[in-house]
Amino acid sequence: MPENPFDPVTLSKIASMELRARLVVDGALSGIHKSPYKGSSIEFLEHKEYSPGNEIKHIDWKVHARTDKYYIKEFEEETNLKCYIFLDTSGSMEYKSTGISKFEYASTLAASLAYLLLKQSDMVGLISFGDKVLQYIPPRSRITHLHVLLNALTGLKPAGKSNTSVILNEFIEKISRRSLIIIISDFFDDINKVITQVKYFQFKKNEVILFHILDPYELTFPFETITYFESMEDERRILADPKSIKDRYLSEMNRFLEQFKQACFENQIDYCLIDSSTPLDQALINFLARRESTSRPRYKS
Amino acid sequence: MISFLNPLLLFGVLGAVIPVIIHLINKKKAISHKFAAIDFILQTNKRISVKFKLRQLILLILRASLLAFLAMALARPFVKNFIGGTPEKDVPTSNVIIVDDSYSMQYSDNHESFFMSAKTAAMEIINNLTKNDDTAVITCSSLGSQVLPELDYDKKNLLNFIEQAQPGFATTHITPALDAAIEVLTSAKASIKRIFLLTDLTRNGWDIDWFKSGNEKLRSHVSNIHIIDLSEGRELKNIAITHIEPQINVSERSAESTIKVIVSNFTPTRIKNLLAQVFLDQKKVAQGFFNIDTNASETKEFYFSVEKGKGHTGWVEISEDSLNVDNKRYFAMNTSNKLDALLIDGDPKTNIYESETFYLEKALNPGREHASSIKPTICSIHEVKNFDFANFDIVFLCNVETLPLEKIHELDKFVKEGGSVIFSLGNKVDSNYYNNSFGTLLPHRLHTARTFSSDSPLSEEQPLHLKATEPIHPALRILSETNMSTLSSVKFYRVFYVDPAPLGNCKTILSFSDDTPALIERQVDRGRCVLFTSSIDRDWTDMPVKPFFLPLMQQLCRFLTGNIAEEIQSETLAMHEWQSPCPEDINSLEITNPEGTKTVLQPQVINNEKSFLCNETNFPGIYTVTVDGKPHPQFTQKFPVNVETTESNLDKISQKELAALMGGTNLTITTSPVSEGSEVLMGEAKKTLWGTLLFLTICILFVESFVSRK
Repeated sequence: MPENPFDPVTLSKIASMELRARLVVDGALSGIHKSPYKGSSIEFLEHKEYSPGNEIKHIDWKVHARTDKYYIKEFEEETNLKCYIFLDTSGSMEYKSTGISKFEYASTLAASLAYLLLKQSDMVGLISFGDKVLQYIPPRSRITHLHVLLNALTGLKPAGKSNTSVILNEFIEKISRRSLIIIISDFFDDINKVITQVKYFQFKKNEVILFHILDPYELTFPFETITYFESMEDERRILADPKSIKDRYLSEMNRFLEQFKQACFENQIDYCLIDSSTPLDQALINFLARRESTSRPRYKS
Repeated sequence: MISFLNPLLLFGVLGAVIPVIIHLINKKKAISHKFAAIDFILQTNKRISVKFKLRQLILLILRASLLAFLAMALARPFVKNFIGGTPEKDVPTSNVIIVDDSYSMQYSDNHESFFMSAKTAAMEIINNLTKNDDTAVITCSSLGSQVLPELDYDKKNLLNFIEQAQPGFATTHITPALDAAIEVLTSAKASIKRIFLLTDLTRNGWDIDWFKSGNEKLRSHVSNIHIIDLSEGRELKNIAITHIEPQINVSERSAESTIKVIVSNFTPTRIKNLLAQVFLDQKKVAQGFFNIDTNASETKEFYFSVEKGKGHTGWVEISEDSLNVDNKRYFAMNTSNKLDALLIDGDPKTNIYESETFYLEKALNPGREHASSIKPTICSIHEVKNFDFANFDIVFLCNVETLPLEKIHELDKFVKEGGSVIFSLGNKVDSNYYNNSFGTLLPHRLHTARTFSSDSPLSEEQPLHLKATEPIHPALRILSETNMSTLSSVKFYRVFYVDPAPLGNCKTILSFSDDTPALIERQVDRGRCVLFTSSIDRDWTDMPVKPFFLPLMQQLCRFLTGNIAEEIQSETLAMHEWQSPCPEDINSLEITNPEGTKTVLQPQVINNEKSFLCNETNFPGIYTVTVDGKPHPQFTQKFPVNVETTESNLDKISQKELAALMGGTNLTITTSPVSEGSEVLMGEAKKTLWGTLLFLTICILFVESFVSRK
């Protein structure tokens, strides 16, 4: 049986980030995604009967000559979306129980999203962060910008602690209105502070999507023997009997996820929990399908 | 105090460290794992960690104690709960502890000996006493040598005495010890008077008849009798050498010895191929195997050569068993040089039976040539000139009428240089000739002969009889009581009367019933002369056909030649007296026991006779007798001391029999604290703990499985 090309493990075998992004986007998402933004462009969309208030310059005089009625030309609007991808590069993102770490998964996801957006001429920028901003690549819409982004993603190495809320706070003023903000992280952080910052973005009419990447072991805690668990962000170390704490751990983890999900729901934040063993295309399809059905009306002009 | 039946298994308690080691190894081997969601573990572990650690600790303790308790249970612990404690602490008691120290108490079958158990038990009893209780200690087998007969309040003194007590080699004497205990308690002032008897309960030593009268004394003077059976009710098995009988045959060239050995099997099974070995002068000289049915004995004879002309000691031993004291018996023997005796027959006859020396020759050398240590040579008066007296140790003149003058001088010289002469008389003897020719040698001058037979026409009176003079002459000591009693049955029809005045250095060995001398000894310079005032054949007396004639003649020869010591030394039983007559010229005697301890003996007058008496025969083995540090020809050089074999039969008196014997007394019979399942008539002597420990172990097992699953 041939390997699923979108399986995270299979993808991890592809060294080039561009190839990974192309594989995911071209192979799986082609024809599905269209820009939700309409406006003036060279591509004619439809005719609409003139009504008072419409600009006169948009009246199609040829149609008027033939029909003696006033019609307005509607064109597919040229997208002018700015997308900011926030990628968590803290030490905890390096954790992997199977073939691919959370960071690799997140990087591939970021690259795929960037390729997808640039392909439709959206502007894509990248902010990688830990407890401070490591790299900021402003959004551009040129397709060549993809290489800049991919090079940046390839050069990243997770380390240190994360402080998502502080980083978000830094960018509240820098990011203009009506931008798409994608945050990819494991969110082992103070989620209340993160939600607060996200709300500021929303207040400025920005759309925020949270990709919550977790490893399957973090979700199921399948350990058996007594183990020294070591922190990936600092020097903490603890001896624990997994069998005795498993129930309690899972309960805590589910409570955390539930709380996060509930906060996002209440604040109309797109939240997507992704198990790093889930095939990437599947994750993207699910996400985009959901966005198609829930978000489109909000952006109709 | 907790003791253990299988103390070696206590090493298993070390197994308790195994869970600790496993825990430490596991902790060391715990894998490290970098984990991103550590905050969740920390949050969780904060709550569970204490619980987890506590559970781990509980499991560790449970598992360690599980192994420790299991090991302790297998070691079979018990608490010695001797009944020595005073029932009411304020009431003073007087106690007598009787410790059986007979040699059967040295029985040991993979445990400590009964005697050691008895010492431990005695110490427990003493330790349980209060300062108001006084105690005396009496031993069973050796009354007097190892006793503290006075009631003593000083525990230290009592404990010290018990500590130093040693097992004896004598037999059990329970009832004399009970007598002694009653005597001690009779004078005691305490209201509670108790006897503790620590014994192996072997039947030997229990005088059943004593209880007919003794029981009443026990009832009236003793409040409680506690018997502690140190054999724990077990059946005791023993194999013992019950008798040895060495014999020696000396010939011209060599000496051969035979030893008859009887081995008894006191076990309930047949014994096969039991090795018995004979050692002579520290070297093994013979060995053999015994196959003995249960409760039976087997006799075997062992043959070996011995060197002539010296004393020998040795022992017979069998393979070891639970009681080794009776597996070895000692013997001592002398192989003196053969004596040459010249028998000058003054009345030879064609018919050999009628010759003067016929009976004498048979007495000195019965049977074969090498059967006796005396070699007699017979000659007539005419032949005597062909013999040199110096080649002989002793010369018999038997009814000799005359001797050539030169032979008379030679005889005189022979005696003065250490030789011995025995004159026996007869119808050829002329008293005047004898008085003139042998006057320097004869103990008494001869008078006329008299006839005493009623059958004879010359009869004047009834025949004379023999009697021993007091004190018994050393030459007669070999004669048994039976032989001595037959002296009076000997009839003398004709005897020579002698001058009442002795010629100096004379001793009457035997006399006639009319108190006239019959056998007289005289010291002449370095030699000795003996005069027998009747005939040595049957002409004048029937003495030659009497049983004592043979030993008397042989012993007389040995006495005269200084070889008085017996060939085979009769054994003395341990803790029994050894006695030896005291020659006039000896004032002290040294006895050295097998341990090397020397005892100096002074002569004592016993039955009007001076004798040496030795009571220090405490140890079996070979004892050495010396005078001024040297062996003396008048004494046995060495004598063997062996244990009395009645103690070897370890048949036990049952508790029911004892209860019946001592009916009416307040009796408690318990096994020793290390016993199990034995009958306890009253009281409880021990409390076993292994059942409780096993129960605890099982409980721990349940708790452990419950905790570990949780």
